[in-house]
Amino acid sequence: MSEQMRRVPPSMVRELRADAERQLSVEEFNAWVNAPMTDAEREEIDSLIDWFTRRYPTPEARLEYARRAARDLAAMMPSST
Amino acid sequence: MQESEFDQRTFFRAIADSGARALLIGRRALIVLGAPVGTFDYDFWIHVDDIERFNVAVATLGLIPNHTPGDARQRGRYVLENSERVDVLVARVHPTIDSQRIAFDDLWARHKRYEVSAGVWIALPTIADLMATKRFGARPKDAEDLRFLARLLARENDDE
Repeated sequence: MSEQMRRVPPSMVRELRADAERQLSVEEFNAWVNAPMTDAEREEIDSLIDWFTRRYPTPEARLEYARRAARDLAAMMPSST
Repeated sequence: MQESEFDQRTFFRAIADSGARALLIGRRALIVLGAPVGTFDYDFWIHVDDIERFNVAVATLGLIPNHTPGDARQRGRYVLENSERVDVLVARVHPTIDSQRIAFDDLWARHKRYEVSAGVWIALPTIADLMATKRFGARPKDAEDLRFLARLLARENDDE
């Protein structure tokens, strides 16, 4: 991970977390979820699933990868967040 | 307990061996199914009568509940924590944002099991049921997860 990524300020981390965790209205949520999936989005999601299941072919391998990734990310987080 | 001491296999084995009716939900469930999403915690929906059994099982890993079983039953959820965080939903029924009532017993009756370590199986809702649980919180990340789940469901149907 780059040094630039390591210097993410605590305020930005807080903002990003708040954005991801905010509660959407029913209308906002349904608009997002029910939007037709474009061919490009479908291909991108399929590509990610294909890569992940090929690289980590078992649930155990995928869970272990996710745990390592979370641990690495947590190590980069500012301690004050 | 230190971060490095938490053993995920032991964690899942303890839950499996406990006999608690426990469904892995949230992003860890998506990861099991094959979606490369990020998360820091574990989310379970367990039967309201199995709180004590679940807590005893994970106590060996140093996970401490933030509420007594009685309080958890009243609140409908609680958290187990040490270096890890486990969010536990215990409501018999939980509403979605559009007021559908999702019952644990219904999801449990349809659950599927996945081997997460040699001989260790955990229960997940079906993909369609997992999609329903993503409508509990209705956060942007839930909406993103639903796009992944829609593709996983389509691929599953194609395989059948």
